[in-house]
Amino acid sequence: MEVFIAQVINGLSLGSIYVLLVTGFNLLLLVAMIIHFAYPQVVVFSMYITWVVLRLTGNSLLLGALAAVASSIFFNMVSAPLFQKVMKKRGEVDINSTMVLSMGIGMIITDVLSHGFNKGFPIAFPDELSGKTAILRIGLISILPGQVSSLIVGIIAVSGFFLLLYKTRAGRAFRAIAEDPNGARLVGIPLFRTGLESYALSGLLGGIIALLLAALLGSASPDLGEQVAHKVLAVSIIAGLGNLAGGLVVGLLLGILEAIVQGYLSGSWSNAIAFVIMLVVILAKPKGLFGIKL
Amino acid sequence: MSWALYLPYRVAHLHFIIVANMAISGYAAAYLVMTWHFPFGWALALGFVLGGIIGYIVALFIGDAPTFAVVIVGFTFIYIVRTVIENTEAVGGTMGMFGLPNIGGSPILHRWTMIAILYGLVLLVGFCIYRFDHSRLGRAASAIFVDPDLATSLGVDIKKLGILLQTFSCTLAGGCGVLYGFIFKSFHLDYFTFHMVGILMTVIFVGGYATLWGVVLAAPVLYGVPLLFPPQIASWRIVIYGVLLILVLVLKPEGFITPRFVYNMETFLSRRRKKRNTL
Amino acid sequence: MKKRAVVVGMEVLVLVLFVASFGFSQAKVVVNEWQVPFLNCLTGPIASIGGYLQWGADRAAFEMNQAGGIAGKPVKVIGVDTANDPQKGTVEMARIVKDSLVALGPVPEPVIMAAMPIAVENEMMSMTATTSYEYASKFFPWTVSWFPPYSTRLPPLVKAWAKEFSDIKQVVQFVENYGPWPGMAEAHVAGLKAANVKVLNNVEVPGDAVTFGPLIVKALDQKPDGIIFVCNAQKIAKIIKELKSRGWTKMNHLLVFSSGDDSSLYTIGGDDINGVQVYNYINPGVDNPRWNAFRAAFMKDHNGMAPFSLSPNYYDALYMVKEAIEKTGVTGDPKKLKEERKKIADYCASVKNFHGIQFDWDMKDGVPTNKPSYLFEIQGGKKVLIQEVRP
Repeated sequence: MEVFIAQVINGLSLGSIYVLLVTGFNLLLLVAMIIHFAYPQVVVFSMYITWVVLRLTGNSLLLGALAAVASSIFFNMVSAPLFQKVMKKRGEVDINSTMVLSMGIGMIITDVLSHGFNKGFPIAFPDELSGKTAILRIGLISILPGQVSSLIVGIIAVSGFFLLLYKTRAGRAFRAIAEDPNGARLVGIPLFRTGLESYALSGLLGGIIALLLAALLGSASPDLGEQVAHKVLAVSIIAGLGNLAGGLVVGLLLGILEAIVQGYLSGSWSNAIAFVIMLVVILAKPKGLFGIKL
Repeated sequence: MSWALYLPYRVAHLHFIIVANMAISGYAAAYLVMTWHFPFGWALALGFVLGGIIGYIVALFIGDAPTFAVVIVGFTFIYIVRTVIENTEAVGGTMGMFGLPNIGGSPILHRWTMIAILYGLVLLVGFCIYRFDHSRLGRAASAIFVDPDLATSLGVDIKKLGILLQTFSCTLAGGCGVLYGFIFKSFHLDYFTFHMVGILMTVIFVGGYATLWGVVLAAPVLYGVPLLFPPQIASWRIVIYGVLLILVLVLKPEGFITPRFVYNMETFLSRRRKKRNTL
Repeated sequence: MKKRAVVVGMEVLVLVLFVASFGFSQAKVVVNEWQVPFLNCLTGPIASIGGYLQWGADRAAFEMNQAGGIAGKPVKVIGVDTANDPQKGTVEMARIVKDSLVALGPVPEPVIMAAMPIAVENEMMSMTATTSYEYASKFFPWTVSWFPPYSTRLPPLVKAWAKEFSDIKQVVQFVENYGPWPGMAEAHVAGLKAANVKVLNNVEVPGDAVTFGPLIVKALDQKPDGIIFVCNAQKIAKIIKELKSRGWTKMNHLLVFSSGDDSSLYTIGGDDINGVQVYNYINPGVDNPRWNAFRAAFMKDHNGMAPFSLSPNYYDALYMVKEAIEKTGVTGDPKKLKEERKKIADYCASVKNFHGIQFDWDMKDGVPTNKPSYLFEIQGGKKVLIQEVRP
């Protein structure tokens, strides 16, 4: 029983990574109709920028955090017009074009990180960011500060953005310009300013995710984004594109499932089993378990 | 391989399962040749057949699925196949298989046989795709790409066409997998990665996804030109591919070789032929 | 006329591109200089490691030229980039086998597997000095193995570790399914059994694992006294950090295998890996003039960083080539290429008392017979020698 509880806690920790990334992914989808397959790579890029700033400033956490957010916002602002240009029709998700474009962005980011930062070797974040000592340790059950913060922030982020997008005027404006820009303009929503705000918002979330991942994982490597990107995409599709609550549930469940498989079966089969389940769901219910929310 | 990705994309399916097909057929053929001493010809034929069977079975489920479902299925298969191969000692596991025999018994005969098969396959497949593109089926595929609902209302069976294209594409990929490994005389999991997916995608989108000639131009150029670069620039090859992909998507979404370009070339060449004939 | 010019121009362009797609180039044979191509990953994801290997070979060439070269002629190592791409590796190997006497590399294993058959077909020796016997032996006699088989090399090392810390009664291994690593883990088992240590079930580490809690719980549930790590350096460091946070205190009961001993282990592990044991084949603390000069030069060129553990391998490989050329009377005459390639290959496969930069060894049929291995303890980012182990 102790082992099972420990694995569930580990699973929640892993799942919180997926939740954070899927939330960012879904946010971009909801406010900009962009399917950003390389969103995890962008987050990893922000992690690298954080690392550079931490090294240059003698591990100033505040400046590192600001760098993470700023770099993420900047990247969003720069890449969003590219997506808008390639999408055939605003208001409709053009999967082919945005997916291919984001794959191109992912290729560039991964290769730039392999060449240009730390000679391609992984980077390590200072221990002050993650905390070395467990908050709770009972036998095999152990909870680290990074695990708690990423899970809590993940839940808060999902709840917060759900409320923002569906219960506030600003959120409705974001969704309006994404779904029907002409209609939004007609009702007086300022397109340019609102569009900028929506990209800044997703950039802000991306920066926060980068910081939380730095705290949770303690390190990053150029291929980290690729390693999680396929699972993030699959989680989003299983849950239903744009479904924030669904992403939370499926992300956590997937994390727990992987932890259970690694803990009780074989580690090298954990990916295959997880993907088989995803395959079954996709074939049986292409709109996802909780439905598309676009 | 780029043609194997091009064909399903005619109906807007990014069918990445072809990379998994390459691995399955390649390893199967290598196993048969090395363990059971199958002749290479039989192993190659089996590679094609195996690819086709897998492609057909999968296509029964995703022949008319949305694009993202097809993409996920492709990624899933790549993951599953890699996991199975790395846990299967009979095909070398993580070490890979190497020491595949020379076809014909000598390196020179092996090299020429592979070249002959490759170029023969390029001509044959190119011909088939050309005939497909200029047929009713090709026009139906174009209709599906532009507007699936309209295509359905005009009587196009999306699922059947999807199954046909996916099966053909997987068949081709299976054979390519066998050839790929026998050219290197080894198989390793690192030959079949998501990196290959990125390169294939770059080839068809930069060259042009709407005609088969896009691949003919893009594949040798994108692969060959970096070989001429100095190492410092060649090391940024993947970044160059990524930038090129983005620029093409933004500025020239159909790629360099568009159907209009091909039409103009065909018209130009036929006018020249007529002029020569009249002279 | 204008149209014809355009068509001709296009035809020329297509021809140029067609030729370019085969990577057309010619290597010139220079008889006044020994040119040794080194197929290396100078670009791509492991370019840094390739850089360290190239540095070692260049250092050897520099020293040789300072002392008069090889048989009176200068030597030049030509870095041939394979970009960690098997396809590129075969293209480059096909090019160099036309007129090269001997080559170094390729690096790493997928490129070796793709490119070495070409060297074998053309009967040219290519020294794969960083791969295991299990890969190199497939291409004998046209390469040599720098390491003995796992079954002879690893059990004594692991046994020595288990004996050093005799309170280790049961051991679990974290094993990543990559290349020869599962085979190495099996070889460890033989050593553990020889030391009467119980071997618990391996914990398989997925290649794309980003968190390791489930694996650690699985391992700790078996109540091991010791742990051996057979996975990527970055993963090892993260697992050790998490083990420590879960209360693991006996750091010297953790053993890292040789392939895990790279800069990622130290960068990510930091102070948390102090006391951890690691085995490898080069002793950074050796005190001899050649090694001291090598180390000083490496540190000078790499901002004070200590030599990467594989960096002397191609240094030694080039010296072995030098010895082969001088002792067999190879002239570099292109007309005698086939015969002289065979001489070099035969010599290297059976060299006696070769003076490597750290130790001397013999080769028997391409396999080293008496190379030492070392067990170290990590302290403050450095390796402190615990014992030397000979098979």
